[in-house]
Amino acid sequence: MRKLLDFLQLAGQSIMHRRLRSWLTVIGVFIGITAVVALISIGLGLDRTIKEQVAGVFGVDTFVILDEDTFGSDSHGGTAEEYALDLDLLRSIEGVKVAAALREHNGYVEGGIDEEGNRIPGIFPVMGLSPELMTEFESFTGDLELMPGGRLFEPGDVEVAVLDYEVAQRLGVEVGDTILVAGDGSAELNLEIIGIMAPAEEEADSGAGFGVRFSTSSEGDTISVPYDTMELLWGPADDVLVTLVKTESGYDVDEVADRAEETLKERGSDITAVTYNDISEAIGTVTSTVSAFLAGIAGISLLVGGVGVMNTMFTSVLERTKEIGVMKAVGAKNVHVWTIFLIESGLMGLVGGIVGTVLGLGLSALASVFIGRFFDVELIVVASPALIIITLLGSFALGALAGLWPAWRASKLPVVDALRYE
Amino acid sequence: MPFLDMKGVTKEYKLGKTIVRALRGLDLEIRSGEIVAIMGPSGSGKSTLMHILGALDTPTDGSATIDGQNLQELKERQLVTLRGKRVGFVFQTFNLIQTLSAQRNVELPMIFQGVRRSARARRARELLEKVGLADRVRHKPSELSGGERQRVAIARALANDPEIILADEPTGNLDTETGGPILALLKELSVRDGKTVILVTHDPDAAAIADRIIRLRDGCVSTAGRHVGEEAEASSPHDSAEGGGDSRA
Repeated sequence: MRKLLDFLQLAGQSIMHRRLRSWLTVIGVFIGITAVVALISIGLGLDRTIKEQVAGVFGVDTFVILDEDTFGSDSHGGTAEEYALDLDLLRSIEGVKVAAALREHNGYVEGGIDEEGNRIPGIFPVMGLSPELMTEFESFTGDLELMPGGRLFEPGDVEVAVLDYEVAQRLGVEVGDTILVAGDGSAELNLEIIGIMAPAEEEADSGAGFGVRFSTSSEGDTISVPYDTMELLWGPADDVLVTLVKTESGYDVDEVADRAEETLKERGSDITAVTYNDISEAIGTVTSTVSAFLAGIAGISLLVGGVGVMNTMFTSVLERTKEIGVMKAVGAKNVHVWTIFLIESGLMGLVGGIVGTVLGLGLSALASVFIGRFFDVELIVVASPALIIITLLGSFALGALAGLWPAWRASKLPVVDALRYE
Repeated sequence: MPFLDMKGVTKEYKLGKTIVRALRGLDLEIRSGEIVAIMGPSGSGKSTLMHILGALDTPTDGSATIDGQNLQELKERQLVTLRGKRVGFVFQTFNLIQTLSAQRNVELPMIFQGVRRSARARRARELLEKVGLADRVRHKPSELSGGERQRVAIARALANDPEIILADEPTGNLDTETGGPILALLKELSVRDGKTVILVTHDPDAAAIADRIIRLRDGCVSTAGRHVGEEAEASSPHDSAEGGGDSRA
């Protein structure tokens, strides 16, 4: 150990003596390290940002029920598939506190009277929403903005509807008017318009916070009705897109989700219950794959840096041949010479690592600001201690590894030949 | 028993496809505390002899012993210890490490022996004082004169208190004025400290400080005597021509 400290000092003095060359070598290393640290750090930040956003929407006590194919490997780009659901059965499962569903069906609708005295017809997606969606799951629905004079559903509402702005325009109706919606067979209902959504452009920022779109249409041409009203028009739910479930406190959300999934599957629903942990895991897989891929590409520059260190060390061994001979003549063992050269190359790697880590973290902070502005999110900057420690150890190892061969060559130089070297 | 004893020592080198015989059946005895000058023309085998005496190299044939230890029987590890602890080298070109101060250069042999930092620093300063460089401890070799550099090299050779000092042309790169004190210093090491000093030199002035002069020619001892010009003829089977060692393809 005592000798190691002395060797460290000898190696350091040698590096300082060849300052310019050492710095050039270090630059070769830190460019690669900077790229790797920045990319991994941005990747970690992105991962945490997305997870925190999801956690903000989800909360720790909530899970989502989706069609089996909507979430997971068979996913079709995030658009929800329909499934059958017995909402009352779901509500009766132990640990379930609130369950709210959303179903959708295309329906024939008649609105206001046109110039010729006929009711204006149209086919629109009709969306049934549990009132609890608006009261218990605001984080999913976002702030739903209505035109002045309107309101959203309240418990007990049945023959009412909330129209998207576009639909109201096309049907020529206002709050207080009535529309006719035709369901299966002879079922039809006259629904009172209690609210009209603000135009789509204005509510762009307040849309659903969750990644799966509630509606299959995205044109702002939906008619929303209470969930129970859908049953009067189209019968039992076989067209549910998403169900949100809040669990009782004291229950493990993953356990309740598993129980719900099992119970509903026994009833023939092809569904999957997705908790925060499931989503977090899926996000983690994606972000870590992406950042590993990018860091791998950046790693190529590390290889170049390593070759730079090796080249410098070979030059150093050559020009210090006589010095090696002298060290051996005054009692240095081969292993001493080997260690001194190895520490020297490792030190250059380590200095490259320190500079690269600082620059990489700085770069990732800078990138976060730009990415944040571009995508309008607040990207978290992650300076993971594990990343820093691994990078520093790794950069020393990179330097030492690159120096292994030159150091071995130095240690094996025959002392008499080395002393004669001119 | 002589301190350094060489019997029928042969050393062959391969230079490309050529085998060079640098030493050819050399016999030599040196007693402890003696100061011996080895002289001879270029290629007579002086440096090779010095390398073997300093345990830097081993003979191809014959036997070379240092204080009863046969070099050929020692493992590399033991040879390293031997030259680290019992031999000190002084080179013609000083061979100081440019990146280190005078003190650190003197400490170097002690670093490899694992001597404690404080003990090492104290000894290095003592030795530099002994060679008259008490005020130069922090100077780098590039900041010292030729004579001063050689003094640092002598201090370094003494670092581990070795019994043998091997000096290869110690005044070869110095003028008479600076060379004189260096020779006086080496003489003093033998007379006062009882070191065995072996001086490889071309310079008759340098050889003059020796108790004994050994002349080499073609890898053998040609003559030996107490002073320059007083050497007795030694019987040698190979005293044909001056110049390089015998070569055969």
